[in-house]
Formats: sequence, structure tokens, C-alpha cells
Amino acid sequence: MSNQATMHEKNLQKVTSSQRVMNIVVKTLLYAFLSLMALIIVFPFYWMIISSLKSVTEYRLPIPTLFPKEILWHNYIEAFSAANLDRLFLNTVYVGVVSTLLSLVITVLCAFAFARLEFKGKNALFAALLGTMMIPGELFTITNFITVNDFGWIDTYTVLIVPFLVSIFYIYLLRQNFLQIPNELYLAAKVDGTSDLKYLWKVMIPLSLPTLISITILKMMGAWNSYVWPRLVTTSEEMRLITNGLRDAFTDMSGQANVPVQMAAVAIVSFPLFMVFLFLRKYIMKGVSRSGIKG
Amino acid sequence: MDANKKNGGWFTEAVLNTFFKEWVWNTFCVKWIWKSFCVNLVYKKFDKWKAWIYLAPAIILLLVFTVWPIINTVRIAFLDGYSILGEVGGETYSFGITNFLDVLDEYSGFEEALVNTLLLTFITVPLSTILALIIAVCLNSIKPLQKFLQTIFFLPYVTNSIAIGMVFEAMFNIVGFGTADPSFGIINNILGVFGVDPINWININSSYWANMAVMVIYIVWNALPFKILILLGGLQSVNKQYYDAAKIDSTPRIRVFTRITVPLLSPMIAYVVITGFIGGFKEYSSIVGIFGDDMQAVGTEHTLNTMVGYIYDALGNNEGRASAAALILFAIIFVVTMINLRVSKKKTHY
Amino acid sequence: MKKKLLALLLVAVMLVSMLAAVSCGDNTDDNGDDKNQPGVAAGMASYDVPAEGYDGSAVTITFYHTMGKTNQEVLEYYIKEFNKLYPNITVEHAPMGGYPDLRDQIKTQLTAGAQPNIAYCYPDHVALYNVTKKVIPLDNLIGSKIEVTDALGNKTILGLTDEQLADFVEGYYKEGAAFDTLGTMYTLPMSKSTEALYYNKTFFEKHGLKVPTTWDEMEQVCEAIKKIDPNCIPLGYDSEANWFITMCEQSGSPYTSLDKKNHFVFDNETNRAFVKRFNSWYKKGYITTEEIYGSYTSGLFTATEGQRCYMVIGSTGGAKYQNPPTVDGQPLFESAMATPPQLDPSNPKVISQGPSLCLFESENPQEVVASWLFMEFLTTNVEFQAAFSMETGYAPVIKSVQNNEVYKNWLSKANGYNNLTAMSVQLALSQVDAYFVSPAFNGSSMARDQVGLLLKNALVKTEDIDAAIAKLFKDAVGKCKFSVK
Repeated sequence: MSNQATMHEKNLQKVTSSQRVMNIVVKTLLYAFLSLMALIIVFPFYWMIISSLKSVTEYRLPIPTLFPKEILWHNYIEAFSAANLDRLFLNTVYVGVVSTLLSLVITVLCAFAFARLEFKGKNALFAALLGTMMIPGELFTITNFITVNDFGWIDTYTVLIVPFLVSIFYIYLLRQNFLQIPNELYLAAKVDGTSDLKYLWKVMIPLSLPTLISITILKMMGAWNSYVWPRLVTTSEEMRLITNGLRDAFTDMSGQANVPVQMAAVAIVSFPLFMVFLFLRKYIMKGVSRSGIKG
Repeated sequence: MDANKKNGGWFTEAVLNTFFKEWVWNTFCVKWIWKSFCVNLVYKKFDKWKAWIYLAPAIILLLVFTVWPIINTVRIAFLDGYSILGEVGGETYSFGITNFLDVLDEYSGFEEALVNTLLLTFITVPLSTILALIIAVCLNSIKPLQKFLQTIFFLPYVTNSIAIGMVFEAMFNIVGFGTADPSFGIINNILGVFGVDPINWININSSYWANMAVMVIYIVWNALPFKILILLGGLQSVNKQYYDAAKIDSTPRIRVFTRITVPLLSPMIAYVVITGFIGGFKEYSSIVGIFGDDMQAVGTEHTLNTMVGYIYDALGNNEGRASAAALILFAIIFVVTMINLRVSKKKTHY
Repeated sequence: MKKKLLALLLVAVMLVSMLAAVSCGDNTDDNGDDKNQPGVAAGMASYDVPAEGYDGSAVTITFYHTMGKTNQEVLEYYIKEFNKLYPNITVEHAPMGGYPDLRDQIKTQLTAGAQPNIAYCYPDHVALYNVTKKVIPLDNLIGSKIEVTDALGNKTILGLTDEQLADFVEGYYKEGAAFDTLGTMYTLPMSKSTEALYYNKTFFEKHGLKVPTTWDEMEQVCEAIKKIDPNCIPLGYDSEANWFITMCEQSGSPYTSLDKKNHFVFDNETNRAFVKRFNSWYKKGYITTEEIYGSYTSGLFTATEGQRCYMVIGSTGGAKYQNPPTVDGQPLFESAMATPPQLDPSNPKVISQGPSLCLFESENPQEVVASWLFMEFLTTNVEFQAAFSMETGYAPVIKSVQNNEVYKNWLSKANGYNNLTAMSVQLALSQVDAYFVSPAFNGSSMARDQVGLLLKNALVKTEDIDAAIAKLFKDAVGKCKFSVK
């Protein structure tokens, strides 16, 4: 480590002034590019916030305003009081957390088997699994509904959690990550007499923490945004999830929604999600090289 | 190819240097030879079973909630004019291939949906992947504001999809097109600053390519945050040593990018591309978001329907036709993914 | 390469085994269904009302709807009122998002036999549900003379009394019999809206314009308005599909028919002619629609600056969006409403929309009877109909509501400055004789979508109009026929 640091210092001394100018130019371009992309990408979020503060009349204006003429904080109060968001919120958190945890366990085991273990038909099975991602999920809905109905799972937490625990997307993602970890480590562990599970827990998981956290975020997001399935399989209001409440509470007779209030409600429920990300971001950003192999 | 091989050699060398020599070789050399012998001979049988134990939870769930629906889909696709409501109502359907023939009917609109889907996918996947890669690498190479920008790039996740649809309408829509006093929308206003005449993006009698351009922008935009997140996560897992080495050699940035970053990130790139293709073939809601349920601009002859849109329409009360279309879609994606996997296996460096 | 081949082989094996499953699965399904199918006599579908009527047993019924939060509060209050009469009937209700969501939900649940007891419905949806033959024909329930006693000791008949039947607005009630040529009733109306002509009264009075009652007058008014304000679009029409269907009805030309061999009959000379006429209007800048304009026509109507329109033909359900804009609490103009233009004002035709109610089969016959009682309550209870109308701005389906004091009072507050909602209900009540019903069958929703698309696309055609219109009609019919092929 110290050896490297001194080399780095020496290297810095060698930087000439022209290189320094070059560096500044590159950095400026970099920041300009990133800022531009950030602006473009953040625009819908901005739109969501300003829409949540508009009046219905202003929202329906032919030419949309880029900033509300009159800021209606009242929309937030209305959104908060409508729909029993607290119950729906708790449901969503429960379903989100449980399904994320279970899903992580399944995904890790599966990805490990595909990345490290040898068994007959591994590649064929993997290709077949990828194949299942290719059929549009809408086609599954009716058959799956009949299945869970036969199981007697309607209107339970089970039906909200279990059917979507396995995601080939995440297994595939994690397998790619596991494959990046040198096989030599595994062999070494075997020699050491470390069990697979212990190796998985002590080496593989820490090394692929950024990916696991990405999966966690995506899975939580899934619970937050799921709408069709929860509505289909829950008959009582108490079992529904947050998006159901949001989409259903603010519609009028003709099926049109009070969009500003709806947006305010979305902003309210998005907030915890955003906080989760802020909290987890630290871990994503924690470089693995520092925490894992070297340590 | 050559560059990859070179880097590969370099990578192996680094691995050998860092852990293998120091850790494995010195400490466990003798043990290793003995143990690997045991693993290979004694435990081999157990190992085979072990993999299946690891896979069991996933496989059981998949059998129930994925494989069974697929089997059902295939069954339905070969029942002529099958409707699930009809079946519940006591109607019976004979075995045949009418559904597949119907899909190719004059008024089916399947060919158009297929062409749209292929075009959109083959344009948007490379575009969004390259853009996401550049953003992720840039983001990874800065220090100040990194956290802030990363948070910004995450915000689309907590943005409701309704808002995303609304923004697009506001950006490209021309309100009052063809009348005396139209409002050209944000994009056209920005283009106007550069002296470009307003373009009829999505309104009356707009051209196919203008419509497609909007779709491409929308899809790329929609796909970016996910890809950035994944690629950034991948970059964070890359061992910093390679970059330190490159710094010492004062390797040009472009070379660092093509020779180190891309090869090391190749598993993640492969992932993003393959899932991107699969997702691209399933594109649907974005079209409804911009062009409404009709999926076409007013007055135009072309629809912007996609394969999944087609399947979705047919699901109304003709599951047989929907299933047949889904199987055709499946066959197409399957072939493309197989090609992708082959290419990525050649080019990916683990 | 070997592994690829293996994977392909695996898929092939899967396909083959599935094919095998097809042939087996088919047979068992046949048998299963035959057993479940009650013996339906040829001709009219019917439902056998249990001889004992409602036996007072405790049942729970589910009711699916699309109500938002505030409408649900009204519903919940009246469920309590209903429970005063029938305390053993527990009503569980659930919002299902919008109408397409509701339809998909019920459709899926029907396939598993897990459907609700009562649901909000559009005629097109009922036609779809009834492919399963699980929608209950109401004729025997409506006509039932079986006596029921409620908790307050009142004795009534299970069916509808003659007074109740006569109380329904006929145009709304008829909608329940639009499903077959025999006139089997499948739905009862719940709450209705219609189309109205909204106009800027201040502007009309200022320029001495006459509110158009016919399409010819409409053309003249548009021309006059265009001279006063060349920058405006005089008329905005919200729904192209409604427009097309209403024009068919007004001109007495065919739109769709219940004849199974030839459902889609809208491609004819008369229809092509009115489409061409409106195309010329569009060219002159007289009209626009929501999708052509690119924004809500109500936004154009209430615009305070730039381009605007002075007339909108739209749903009475959206009346609140047509209230004039205000500056410092002062409305900028006065809005007013009228019956939309006609071809023959002596025989007016306007479309009716809004939810009806339908009943589904259930294993427990008492659930069906209990659901019927609740359905009857919702559609014939004056207080509920009044309260629901005041909350939603939709019209009640029974005439006697207009004698209700509270309701009368509410209606009297109608004005063109900030209460177009009440005015829209007044209008809906005044044009009750003009409602018509389109046939509902499996594929009728496709017809509706296609004629809307057709009209919209035809309006903006600029060259070779006759050929373009002919092609649009041909394609629309082709797509409709393909959808039910």
C-alpha cells in the first residue's frame, strides 16, 4: 500500500502544465455533460412536483405552465387525508421488505449455483430460464390467477409476495457479478475446507454488495409500483398496496383522475423510497476493492 | 478481439500476483492439490446434488408461476379461436393452427407491429447502453458532486409513470396544430433557438420517422437510469488497482476506457444489452403513453403498435390469437438472445 | 455450440410435451364444463328465482365499482341505510380503478369462478362477460311476485312494482335489454350522463348569435363566429366515437346490428356523407376534437388568453371543467348549456352514458337474491339517487327524484358561473326522451373504437377525400370483423 502511494506521488510530480490544462478542460467537459444529462433525466421528477402544486384548471390548460401560477399546498393535505394511506403504506412496506429479503436469498443461491457449481445441463437450464423472460407477463396473469385461487391464497399477504419472488433478471445480474470474482478464491476456500455457504456469506456477498443493493432497490421499487396484481388478488381494502390507493382514490365518475392531488400523493409516498436510496447509496458507492479482496 | 485477449492476459496476471501468489500459493499449496483431488473425486456426486438444492426454491416457484402458464399458453395457441371466457361458458375449441394464420391476416396489423418492434429495439438498445456507459464512467471518475449527481440520476425511479407520460406530451406536443395560433412545445422551442423550424413530432399527419424519433428518445430516456445504476454498481466492483496502474503509465483516457473499463465491465454490459433486447421487444406502455390507445398519430396511415401491444389487444377476448402471437414473439427473442449470448461469450471477459 | 443445440432441443421437447398436454387437457375440460352448465332452454336465457325469495340468512355480497373516495362515502352511508332494512346482508364494496381496469378484473375473476356479485358495467363489458353465461338475466327477478319482509316489517314483492318500473327513465332502462333480439334484461341503470352543448353565453349574447339546434344552424353559427374571431375554433367535440354513433342515430342509418353474421353495418352512403361534411368543416377551421387539438377542449373553452373556442359538445359528467375561469373571484363570462344539435329537432337523439349494474352467478342462490335486493335499493331509492347525483353530477335514473325537496333545492342553485354541474343534471333530465341505445355484443366495443378512429382520421384528410374516406370505412369494418373472426 505505501509503496503504491509513493509511486503515485512521484507520478503527480511529473504532470506537466499542459497536461494540467488538459485535465481541467476534460473535467469541465465532464461536468458539463453530466449536468446536461442530469437536467434531462430529472425533468419528469420536476414535472411531478410542479404538477402536484397546480390547480386542476391550471393542469388542464392547453399550454402547460412550467411553474405553477399559484402554489397549492392544499393538494398535499387533500392527498394525505384521502385514502387510508397509512394502512396501505404499512402493507406495502411489509410486502416490500419480506419479498425483498426472500427474493435476495433465492437469487443469491441460484446465482451461486449458476456461477460456481458444476452440474449437468447447467447452460441449457440457464438458457431456458432466460427464455422465460421473453414471454410477455400479461399472458401469465390469467393462469396465475386461477392457480392462486385454487391454492386459496386470495386476499392474503402470501399471494402478494410469493408469485414474484423469483426474478430471472436479478439471478442473471448477480450471476454476472459472481463470475467477475476470480475462481481462484473459490478453489482456495475449498482447500481451506470452507463450506460453500460460508464462502458465499464471507466472500461472494461482500464482493457483490453493490449489485445486491441495486437488486434490493429495484425489488422495493417493484413492490411500490405494483398495481395490477395486488388489485386482482385482493378483495378487501385492508390488503391492498399503496399504488392501488393512489390510483383509485382520486378518480371521478367519468374515470378521470384529479391529477394534481394524485401527483401530490405520489410525491408523499415516494419520499420514504427516496430516503432508502440515500441511505443505501453509501453502500453502493463503497468500492469493493477497499472492503473485500484487499482487506 | 486482440485487445481483449491482451487485457485478459493482463487480468489473469494481476489475479495471479495479488491473491494467488501471496495467499493461495504460499499458504495452501500442498493442501490445495490434495483437496482438489478430493473435491473432484470424492465429493463429485454430492456436488451434483448440491447445485440442485441451491436451485430448488427458484425452480419450484418457476414451475408453478412461469412454466405452467407457458404450457397453458402453448395449449391455447393451438386451439382455434380460443377464448377463455368462451371456455368457461362451455364452448369447445378444436386443435389447429388457425390462430397462427389469423395473426398473418390482412387486418391483423401484426407485420407492422413486428417491424416497429424490431426497429425500436435495434435502435434503442445500443444507443441507451452506450449513453449509460459513458454517464456511468463519467460519474465514476469525478469526486465533487458525485453523490449529488448520482442522486439526481436516481430520481426517475421515484417518479410516477403518469408524470413521465405527461412530460413527454408537453415536450413534443403541438397544441392547436394547423390552426392560426399553435403552441409548439418545449423541444421545438429549444430547436427554434438554433434556427430549426418546428417539427411535427406527434401531431396530425406527422411522419413515421418523426414518430419513431420520439419513441426512441422516450425509450432511451426511460432505460437510462436502470442501466446507469447497474453499470455504476459494476464499476464500483472493479478493482481500483487496474486504474492505479494505468495512471502510473499515464495511459490516455480513451485507452483506459476501451482497454480496461469496457473489458472489465463486459459481464455487466452483456447483461444490460441482453436484458435490454428482451425489454425492448416487450415495449408497449410507452407507446400508449405518447400516442394514446389508438397508437397512431391522427390522420396517419401507420400505427406505432408493437408486438406486446398486439398481444395485449388480442387478449381482450381472443386469447388464442394472443398466445400465437406471443409464441412468435418468443421465437424471435429467443433467436436474438441466443445470438447475443454467443457474441457476449466471445467478447465477454470474466 | 453443443450446448446451444441442447437448449434448442430442450425447447423442442417442451413444445412437444405441451402439444401432448393440449389433447389431454381438451377432453377433460369438455367434461368438466358439461357438468357445470345448467340446462339453459333454447331461446331466452333465464334465471330461476329461489321459491322462498330472500330467506333472511346472513350473506356477504361484493360490489365492484370505479368510485373515487368521496363517492364511496355516499355509498357507505346508504349501505348502512340498506342494512336497516336487511341487517343480515353484508355489502363489501371495492374500487377497481377505471372502467378498463374493472373490466379486466372481472374478466380474469370470471375465469376462476371468483367473480363479484354486483358490478358497475357498460353494456359492452356485459356482452363480454356474458360469453361465460355467468351474467344473470334479470327478467325473472324484475317480474318476481314473491313476498319479502324487511327488518322494519314492511312487506314488498321481490321484483319491481309497476310504479317502480314506470319511475325509471325509459331511455336508461332500455339499455338493459340491448344484448339480444329477444330483449333479455341484463342490467339496471345506476347513474347516467349524456352529451351537452356548452356555450359561452356572454359571447353569444354580445354578438346576437342564436344557439344552434340543428347541424345546419351550427354551420352558420360557426361561420359567424369565425368572422368575429378569426383566430378561434368555434366548436370543440370531445368524443369522436360518440359523435359518429349519434350521427348514425340521428340520420337513421345503421351503425351496428345484433345479427351475428353481420354485426358491423356502418359502412354506408349516409355515414360517409356526414363524415365528408365534417371534414369540410374542419378544413374551414370550424371544429376540433380533443385529440386533434392536442389538449382538453374544455381547456380551450376556458382559456383566458390566446386561442379559444366558444362551444363544446362534451359529457355532462365533465361539466365542472366547463365553469368559466375567474380573475379575483370574478367569472370572466357566463357559460350555458343546450341539447346538442340535431338533424331533426322534432325527433332529437342524444347518447346516454354512465354506469349500469349487473349481477353475476354465485354458488349460494341467496347471495344472488341479496345482491338483487341491494341493486334494487341503489337504483330505486330516491334518497340515494338524489345524494349520488348531487355528489357526482350524474343524472338520477328515476324520475321521482325530482320531487325530492333537498334535490330540488340543489338543482335550483344551477348557474352558468360556478355551478354548471347542477345545470348539466337539469339538462340531462330535460332530454330524457332523446336517449337511444346501441346494440351490445361481443365486438361492440371494437366497433366503437374503430368509428371514433375513423372519424378522427377522416376529419384531417386533405387530399382525395372521397377515396380516403372510403378506405377508412373499409379498414374500420375490416378490423372489426377481424376482431370477432
